[in-house]
Amino acid sequence: MVQDLSDRSQYPARNRDGTLDVDLTSGKYLKLWQGPNHPGITGNMSVELTVCGDEVVEGKTHVGYLHRGFEKLMERRTFIQCFPIVCRICVPEPDFNEYCYAAAVEELAGVEIPEQAKWIRTLILEMGRFNSLMMYLGGQSGSLGLGVIGQWTTYVRDLMLDRFEELTGARIYHMFILPGGVRDTLPEGFDARMEETLREAERTMKDVWNVMFQNAVFRKRTIGVGYINPALFDDYGVTGPTARGGGVAKDVRRDQPYLAYPDLEFEVNVARDSDIYSRADVRRRDALQSIDLIRQILAKMPRTGPVMAKMPNMLHWKIPRGETYIRGECSRGEYGFYVVTDGSGYPRRVNVRGPSYTHAMALLERLIVNCNIADVAALLVSLHTYPPEIER
Amino acid sequence: MSKGHDRLKVLTTVGEVFAVAIEFERTARDFYVALAPKVSKSIRYLVEELAEEEQNHFDLFTAMAARADMAGVLAAEIQRPASDRKFSDCVHLPDLGEHPDDQAVLQYALMREHAAMEQYRALADETPAGSLRDLFAYLANEETKHKNELEAVYYDTVHSGGV
Amino acid sequence: MPITTVLSPFRAWKFLFQNPVTVRDPLTERPGAPRYRGFHQNDAEKCVGCGTCETICQNGAIDMIDVGLAPKDGDSGLRPRIDYGRCCWCALCVDVCMTGSLSMSNAYTWTDANADAFRFTPGVDKKPWDNDQLGYRRPEGHALHGKDRVEMAELEPEARIGTFDEIVAGYDVARARLEADRCVECGLCVATCPAHMAIPQYIKAVRDGDYERGLALLYETNPFSQVCGRVCTHKCETACAAGHEGDPIAIRWLKRHITDQVPHKDYVRIVGKPKKAAKGEAKTIAVVGAGPAGLTAAYDLARQGHKVVVYEVRKHPGGMPRYGIPEYRLPYDILDADIDVIRAMGVEIKCETRVGSDITMDELKAKNDAVILAIGLHLGRSTRIPGSDHADVRKAVDLLRQVTDEDPVDVPKSLVVIGGGNVAMDIARTMARLQMKAYGEVAVTVTALEDKAHFLADPDEIRECGEEGIDIVDARGPQEVVIDADGRVEGLRTWRVQSIFDAQGRFAPSYDESDERIHPGDMVIEAIGQAAGVDMLGEGLTEALEWNRGRIQVDADGRTSESWLWAIGDCVKGPDVVHAVADGHRAAKSILAAFEGKGDEA
Repeated sequence: MVQDLSDRSQYPARNRDGTLDVDLTSGKYLKLWQGPNHPGITGNMSVELTVCGDEVVEGKTHVGYLHRGFEKLMERRTFIQCFPIVCRICVPEPDFNEYCYAAAVEELAGVEIPEQAKWIRTLILEMGRFNSLMMYLGGQSGSLGLGVIGQWTTYVRDLMLDRFEELTGARIYHMFILPGGVRDTLPEGFDARMEETLREAERTMKDVWNVMFQNAVFRKRTIGVGYINPALFDDYGVTGPTARGGGVAKDVRRDQPYLAYPDLEFEVNVARDSDIYSRADVRRRDALQSIDLIRQILAKMPRTGPVMAKMPNMLHWKIPRGETYIRGECSRGEYGFYVVTDGSGYPRRVNVRGPSYTHAMALLERLIVNCNIADVAALLVSLHTYPPEIER
Repeated sequence: MSKGHDRLKVLTTVGEVFAVAIEFERTARDFYVALAPKVSKSIRYLVEELAEEEQNHFDLFTAMAARADMAGVLAAEIQRPASDRKFSDCVHLPDLGEHPDDQAVLQYALMREHAAMEQYRALADETPAGSLRDLFAYLANEETKHKNELEAVYYDTVHSGGV
Repeated sequence: MPITTVLSPFRAWKFLFQNPVTVRDPLTERPGAPRYRGFHQNDAEKCVGCGTCETICQNGAIDMIDVGLAPKDGDSGLRPRIDYGRCCWCALCVDVCMTGSLSMSNAYTWTDANADAFRFTPGVDKKPWDNDQLGYRRPEGHALHGKDRVEMAELEPEARIGTFDEIVAGYDVARARLEADRCVECGLCVATCPAHMAIPQYIKAVRDGDYERGLALLYETNPFSQVCGRVCTHKCETACAAGHEGDPIAIRWLKRHITDQVPHKDYVRIVGKPKKAAKGEAKTIAVVGAGPAGLTAAYDLARQGHKVVVYEVRKHPGGMPRYGIPEYRLPYDILDADIDVIRAMGVEIKCETRVGSDITMDELKAKNDAVILAIGLHLGRSTRIPGSDHADVRKAVDLLRQVTDEDPVDVPKSLVVIGGGNVAMDIARTMARLQMKAYGEVAVTVTALEDKAHFLADPDEIRECGEEGIDIVDARGPQEVVIDADGRVEGLRTWRVQSIFDAQGRFAPSYDESDERIHPGDMVIEAIGQAAGVDMLGEGLTEALEWNRGRIQVDADGRTSESWLWAIGDCVKGPDVVHAVADGHRAAKSILAAFEGKGDEA
């Protein structure tokens, strides 16, 4: 279902200034708000739809319901004080913020973190990726009325949160990756309990395959729906599974390896069709890959040595003038922190580059035209966006 | 002092022992009272305190001598005698002179208490068990306590000001 | 669509035959993980109220509040109150806690209808989880600030024993910054410092490399910063919060570092010119004794535009820092540099003028608006044991003075020192150096009443004595100076000390006579204590003044019972250079207030 955006032969017509000529009194059009609280969206965001019949002729995204101003807040906090707040930028996958922030200031300050810390960071990022993907699978199926998948994936996500809890001391906001390393080593008996969790996850993933991906309804509603022309990827900054679902094998873990990824074996998951199903399938395989990577990490990681580099006094840590951009492959695509320092004890500027911002606004507004109302939620979820991270 | 010792030795009654002890305290008190105006005002407090302490002993012994149930009271005190320590800087009786300093006054006072203590103790050792022996032991104990107090003051005064 | 995709979803039916995985009663069946960051615990006894937790908390969830504990040295008496409406459970407070008193339990469930209940002071307000064993504890080795003191270069024992060269080199800039970096700016030191120096601020100046600001800060509270930077008793470092789980910050050396970094010629410019008193407002003040107390008061008063004359009996000003402290700890030119700044404020110092004979107290009273007595403790005490009146039994303060004034000293081949304080160490090390120069070897024995655990001397001094070959014999009570048939000192006879404190904890040694030793030596030096030479007051003033257990009675500001006379420093407070400085400030302030009061009456 290739959309030709230039084809507006029916309606609405365009005004001279390029805006759509939508006359709401004509009876042809209807304004419909999806959100800001809508079960089809993970977080608070709204899409202002103009529909004609059951077809969307225009969709405007409205964000800002979750704006907390983190980038500005950080300019008024010392480097260590930024550490507890960055995770809150993205609730369902917080660890990338911790990692990117820590890695950025470490690079600017010239700090090399210990080997064991690198592996523990990698472990945490993969655990976080798995959890994020579990949330996605539940959301994607839920957006099509298949509620039970969400219950199953929430269950395994919860088991993984237990592992997070015992490792980091918290379930959602882990606050474990400090500039300089990580807080602590793995707790006693962690490996065995993690293995149990991974087995449970694999069982659930089989069920998900059978009940979601092998489901005629799901397939009917997603194959060929929500197509993104791969030619648009670069223009719209599409990365991660969204791009890989369209056959573009982009993965920061492989392209610009960081942490322990050079020592791990994995294939970049790709699908061809660039529709909702392809993207879902790439993410399903990513989840299985995370399970595999966690096993690899636990098997290969060093268990001795420090987990924190020798750091100066954090209370008045000053970082020399400089700027850097640190990126990583989160469950949804490229995640990055652009950090500028000016030699003071505070970041001069922090900019968070998350895939949600690009995927949920410009790209969605383009894809949503000519979309059936019933598919809007599925389309939106298939872009795997997290509104808290859009707005920061 | 040895004269006092001999005098006490031949005494037989508790009352007489007390009389001599009270007399000792009285003469000491009078000595300090007479000394006070002679020393510099900066250390007069020491002499005044000593006079007061002797007065307290004088009052105590006088009151005890007047008590009928004295023997029983003494026995109770003697159960836990104050420990005696050897006085440190080998006391030699100093010639206090016209304007003695604080250290000289303290050394004199210490020496006096030490002598009194030794004397009562020796008497207690020589006396057969009974209320008289208890009395000597009690007096020795009192003087020991007093001497210990003074030693603390001595070290506080003399071994201070250094860093 | 293959038919399997229609049938496959029905596999979900299998869950009908499985047990639910939900935890039925999570409130009781589901404790937090052992590392869980739950509600805070605080060992209120261990906590020193440094407030570093409050500083690091980026949510402003922690307030240091008065919980009714009295503040004391090294403990502000405040305790952290946590507002759980703000807390984000990041545990940076636990990570940064200087004493390790703060931790988190694994308790995370708590319901209360009163929102204010969620703001409480852990360890003070009792909570059910106070004694929980599980929960977040700072992992071993994890710290947000440096725990180990940065080493400072100093002369090796072999290099220093033959000379009076200063032993410690002082920090270089890089090391000073590293050391200054460890400070958490809690300010417990400020409260403890008698002069209340702006310690965290000047340490920050070291971090910033802004030494002029550092020096200006030092001079706000201490005109003897170079002296104190070397020989201060640094009570601040005892109070330092960093000392609980590591080395205290080297506050004294950092102070010295600032003074080292600023060229002496710039001092007066940075400190600024004194005020000019309004016409007819300038008063005259006499100070007796040019030590730290007297000169500090003189400095303060001169800076306010008053005329100050300091009378000093010795050849040079400086008091105990010059005449008591050996040059290897405090070089004379350093002291001179400090005094030069004081002179630059207009203070006149008349040396070799003995108050009491060259000029009397009555004359000073008549000629001045106020008189300050800062005569220190320059009379050495004697044990008065037999033989102590021998000519070769000397007092430490007298010998140290002789060395400073470069009067000839007959250096004995071997000697015995009595005393366990810093003065004993000073004279022992001074004589050791003289012995080394004269004979090429050291034969000094230090005997002290105290056992090593109770020495009054700084541990550094004791260690360095050992390094310099001085024999320290602890727990020995002096009994007699042994004199041979020819009338020469042969040594010191001592008994072993069994205990030095009585049941009330007072200093009162008891001896074991059976353990007797004779420490050989041609000279015995007494360094047991010092007294103030108050004879110079004259009989009339002595009688007029109120006294307190041998010392002149003063109020909190140093004013005596005679309204024109203030008495400050060691002679009323006991020996300590920074106390003397603080006393000088207080007296100056009190005198200025008195002047204003008089002005009002007129």
